[in-house]
Amino acid sequence: MNKLKYVGHPVTRIDSLEKVTGSAQFVDDIDFGPNLLYAEIIESTFAHAIIKNIETSSAERVPDVVKVFTGKDFPYKFGLYMKDRFIFAQDRVRFIGEQVAAVVARNPKAAKIAAKLVKVEYEPLPEVLDQMEALKEDSILIHPDLGDYPHVPWFFPKANTNVAHWRKTRRGNIEKGFEEADVILEDTYTVPRYSHCAIETHVAVGKFDYSGRLTVWASSQSPNVQRNLFSEALSPLGLSHKDIRVITPHVGGGFGGKAGVTMEIMVAAIATKLKGNSVKIRWTREQEFYNTYQRLGVIAKITLGAKKDGTITALDHKLYWDAGAYVEYGANVVNAVGLSATGPYRIANISIDSACVYTNLPPGGPYRGFGYSEFLFGLESHIDRVAKKLGIEPVLFRRINAIKEGDTLAYGAKMNANGLLQAIEKVSKEIKWYEGKIESEDPVKVIGKGFSIFWKAPAMPPNASSSAFLKFNEDASINILVSGMDIGQGYLTVMAQIAAEILSIPPSRIRVERPDTDRNPYEWQTVASHVTWSCGNAVKKAALDAREQIYDLIERTHYLDRDTIYLEDEKVKSRTKPDFELALKDFVINGIQVEDGTFKGGPITGRGTFMPEFTSTDADPETSQGGHPNVHYTVGAAAVILQIDKETGKMKVLKVVEAVDAGKAINPDLVKGQVTGGLMQGLATVLYEDMRFDNKGKMLNPNFTDYKIPTSMDIPDEIVPIIIEVPQPDGPFGARGIGEHTMLPAAPMIANAIEDALGIRIKSMPITAEKVALAILKKGEK
Amino acid sequence: MPVIQGFEYFKPKTLNEALHLLSNNRGQASILAGGTDIVVQFKEDLITSKALIDIKGITELSKIEIKEDKLFIGACVTFTDLIESELIKNKFPIIWEASKTVGSVGIRNRATMVGNICSAVPSADSAPALLVYEALVILKNKDGERLVPISDWFIAPKKTGIQKDEIVVGILIHIPKKKYACCYEKLSRYEGEDLAQAGIGILAFEDHYYRIAFCAVGPIPTRAPKLEQFLNGKKITSPIIEEAKKILLEEITPITDIRSSRKYRIHMVKLMFERGLKKVISRLEGGKDA
Repeated sequence: MNKLKYVGHPVTRIDSLEKVTGSAQFVDDIDFGPNLLYAEIIESTFAHAIIKNIETSSAERVPDVVKVFTGKDFPYKFGLYMKDRFIFAQDRVRFIGEQVAAVVARNPKAAKIAAKLVKVEYEPLPEVLDQMEALKEDSILIHPDLGDYPHVPWFFPKANTNVAHWRKTRRGNIEKGFEEADVILEDTYTVPRYSHCAIETHVAVGKFDYSGRLTVWASSQSPNVQRNLFSEALSPLGLSHKDIRVITPHVGGGFGGKAGVTMEIMVAAIATKLKGNSVKIRWTREQEFYNTYQRLGVIAKITLGAKKDGTITALDHKLYWDAGAYVEYGANVVNAVGLSATGPYRIANISIDSACVYTNLPPGGPYRGFGYSEFLFGLESHIDRVAKKLGIEPVLFRRINAIKEGDTLAYGAKMNANGLLQAIEKVSKEIKWYEGKIESEDPVKVIGKGFSIFWKAPAMPPNASSSAFLKFNEDASINILVSGMDIGQGYLTVMAQIAAEILSIPPSRIRVERPDTDRNPYEWQTVASHVTWSCGNAVKKAALDAREQIYDLIERTHYLDRDTIYLEDEKVKSRTKPDFELALKDFVINGIQVEDGTFKGGPITGRGTFMPEFTSTDADPETSQGGHPNVHYTVGAAAVILQIDKETGKMKVLKVVEAVDAGKAINPDLVKGQVTGGLMQGLATVLYEDMRFDNKGKMLNPNFTDYKIPTSMDIPDEIVPIIIEVPQPDGPFGARGIGEHTMLPAAPMIANAIEDALGIRIKSMPITAEKVALAILKKGEK
Repeated sequence: MPVIQGFEYFKPKTLNEALHLLSNNRGQASILAGGTDIVVQFKEDLITSKALIDIKGITELSKIEIKEDKLFIGACVTFTDLIESELIKNKFPIIWEASKTVGSVGIRNRATMVGNICSAVPSADSAPALLVYEALVILKNKDGERLVPISDWFIAPKKTGIQKDEIVVGILIHIPKKKYACCYEKLSRYEGEDLAQAGIGILAFEDHYYRIAFCAVGPIPTRAPKLEQFLNGKKITSPIIEEAKKILLEEITPITDIRSSRKYRIHMVKLMFERGLKKVISRLEGGKDA
C-alpha cells in the first residue's frame, strides 16, 4: 500500500467545532414543543420489600397531572442477556431507588408535587447487601423465579439460589501445577462498586404518534439495542421493530453507563399510553448514581504458584461478584472475567470461577474495562508479591510469563498478534525502571514506583456486528451513516479517516452522521472498545464498495482497466495514461456522458457490513473449552512514580507512563487522549472514589460533594502515552480497540508503588490518603 | 430540577427596605445573598419560606473597607472578592488563605463569607479565620443594631445567634496592633473543591501569644482556650509542640462520618497543628513557609 494520507495522522476531530462552541445538541437541548410531558419517578425506599399497595388517587388530583403509572400498567420483563428487570417494579422491590411508579404531568413542578402524594405500602423483607452472605445456602432469595428467566445460552443461572451465572474455566491440571510450584501465594483482594460519573446524566424522551410509531430520543451508547429491547418488551402492545425509532444526538459521556437499556424503558412504555404527547425523563445526579448501572464490586481469591526460574505453573482465581438487584447486563461482565482472569500471562494450569451474585444493591452493569480493572487489581498486585517471594525483579517476572502470539488462552483458543513485550520494554525505559529508587528531597515524603501490565478483549455476543452506508453527494463530499456513538473517544472522526483513506477525500469533506435507527444501518452497540475495529471494518468495506462502483463505471465509459486506475485528490487517475484525470464531483451523482449523448452510472452509494465469523460461545460449561468467545485481546503496560507524604498519607503522581498496542493508531492524538483520560479515570477509582452504603442498602454519597472524581488540579505532573503498533490482521488498517484499556493498570500500579515506597501492601480499593496514613500508623504501632 | 415550593421574591435597594420586608414576613422569610446554600436547600425541600429577600441590590453590603481601626466585610462580599482584594491579601492573610480553599471557582464567585457563617455548618472554612481575629458579627433589625462576638455566634450545627427579624449586614474585625503571622490548614480529600474534614486556624503574635481555632472537628467551630493558655508566653520548641498536641485532644470532639474517620481526623489535626504552627513561626520570623 502507498503511504497513508489520512490514517495514522492526527486529524482534527470533525465534531470539535460544534462542541467547543456549545452548539452541539444533546437530548435535553431539543425543543419538543408545548405538548411535552414530564415524568417524575417514585422510588423504592426499601432495599428488599413486597409491594402491598400503591395509592395514586391524591396524586392524580393535582392540577396539571396527566396520569400516574405503576407496574400494573406494564407487566413486562426486559434485559439484554437475561430478562430479569421490569419496567416498573411488580410485586417486589430489590434495591433502594428502584422505580415503582411514575407521575406524568404538564410541567416538572406538578409532577414533583404529585409524586410526593403517591403512597406505597411495603412489607419489608430482609435485605442481602453482601455477595458472600447472598451465596450462603440459607440466604433469602432475591429472585425466587430465577429458574424461569430467559437468558443467553452462555449463562448458567442456578435456580433457587442467588447465583445468576457461574463461569467456570478449567485448563491443564491445577493440582499438578501447584505441585510443580516452588512458591505458592494465596490472598484475597476487594474492589468495591464504582459509578461512571458521565457529566451528562441519563435523559430520554418518548413519543408515540397517531401512526402507531414510537420514537425515543435518548442519551445512549446503544440505539439499536434500545430499539430491540423496547420492541421485545413492548411487543404485547403490538409494536414491532419497524415501528420503533431511536434517535441518539450527542452524548455527554457514557463509559458503559449508557450502554444497554436502563431508565429509557420507562419513557418508551409510558409514551405508548399517551398518544400524541412527548414524555421526558431526565435523571438527577442522585438518580444517575443509584438507578442506572454501577460497576460491580468483587472479592477475588487468588492462589498463584511459580517455579524458581519464574515460570508460573498454576493459577486458581475465584471471583465473587456483588452484581446487584438485576444482572441482565452485569452477568456478562462476570462472564468476560471468567474467561480472561489469567491476565496477559501464559499459564498451563488454570482454574477460574467467576460467580455472579444477586444482592439488594443497585444493578451492576457495564463500566469501562468490563470487569478487567477489577480482577487486574488483585492479579497485578499478586504478581508483584509472588515475584518478591521468588526474589525475581517484578518486571522481569512479567516478561518471563507474558503471553505471546500463538500461546494457548484459558479457553483453549490461540492468542493474537500483540506487542506486550514491546510495551513492557518501552514503559520500563521511559519510567527509568531499572535506574533504582528515587530519593525524596523532602524528608517527610517517600517516592515509589509501580508497574502493571494489562489486557482486555471485547466482550460481545459471538455475532455482534456493524454496518455502514456511504453516500456521495453532487460535489463529491460524503455522508456516512453508521450507528456507533461518539461518546467522546472520537469515533466519528476515525470513521471519516478510514473512508477518506480509501476514497482519497479529506476528512473535512466527510460528515459522519449520528444514529437514527430509521436512517442509519445496524450497529450492535458502542461498547467493548470494538467500534474502531468492527464498525471501522464496515466503513472500510462501504468505501471499497463505492470505489468498486467508481472503477466499474470508469471501465464501462473510458475503457480503462481497473487495475490501472486509482483515486487521488478527489479524482480518478490512471497509471498508464498520465493525462487522464476525472474529478469525482463530475460523475458520482449524475453519471458519465458517453459518445452517444446518454449517461451511464448514477449515485455512488457504498454499503459495508462486518461480523466476526470465527467466534462461538459453544463450549463445555464445566471447563469453557471448545468455543472461541473473544475476537482478540488488546495489551499494554504502564508504570507510575508516586510520591507519598508519610504523615498525611497524601499521594501525588509525579509521572505516569502507559503503552497500549493499538495495532494501528488511526488517529494518534485521539489514542493519546484516551490514555490521558483512561489513566485519570483509573487513578480516580484507586485514589478518590469511595462509594458508601448504609446498613439498609441506601447509597450515602450520590453526589460530587462526597463522591470525588478528580479535577484538573489532580492531574499527574507528567503523563507519557506510548503507542505500540503490532497490526491486528483483521482490523481496519491493522487497528484494534484501546478505549477501555487505558484505565486498567491504574489501581494495581498505585498499590505496587505504595508497597515499593512504604513496604505496605494494601489489598482493598480505594486506596485513599486516609487508608494509607492509617496503614502507616498501624505499621508503626507493631 | 424544579423548586416546587412557592415563595415571593423581593430585591430591595436599601437595607431599611429589606428590614421592613423581613419584619412584615415575620419569621417566614429567608435572605438570599450568594445562594449557593439556600438554593440547594429550597431544591431539596429542606426549608420553606414565604418570602425570599435578595440583598444583592443593597450596594453598601458589597463593601470591603477599613473604618478607623476596623475592617468591614459586607454581607454580599464573595470569596472571590476577598481573594482579589489587595487589602485582604496584605493585611488579613488568613482570610485570604481560607477563602481560597472554599469550594470551586464557580462557588467562590457566588458564595459570601457572611453566608458561610450564617449556614454555620461545622466545616465552615471562614470560621477559624474569623475566630482567631475575634471578629464581630453585625446584626440589624428595624429597631437597631447589635454586635455578636464570633465566638458566641455558632450555637449548634447550622444554628447561630441570629434572631428572625435580623439581617447580618457584615463582619467587623479589629486590626491587630501587634505584629503577627497566621495560617489556615485544611484537610480535604483531593486538590479539587472539598468540604473540610478538619480545619485549623493559627495566629501567633510576636510576643508569643497565640490564637487557635478549629472547624469540622466538633459540632461547631471553636477556639481552643486550653491549648492557647498552655502556649501563651512560650517560645515554640519541639517538646512544647508535643505537649501541646496532647492538650489539643481535649479541645476537639471529631466524629466518624462519610468524609473521614475520627481516628484520621485526630491524627491529621495534630499534624496540621504542628505543621501550621511551624509555618506561622517561620512566617513571623520573615522566613519561608515551614
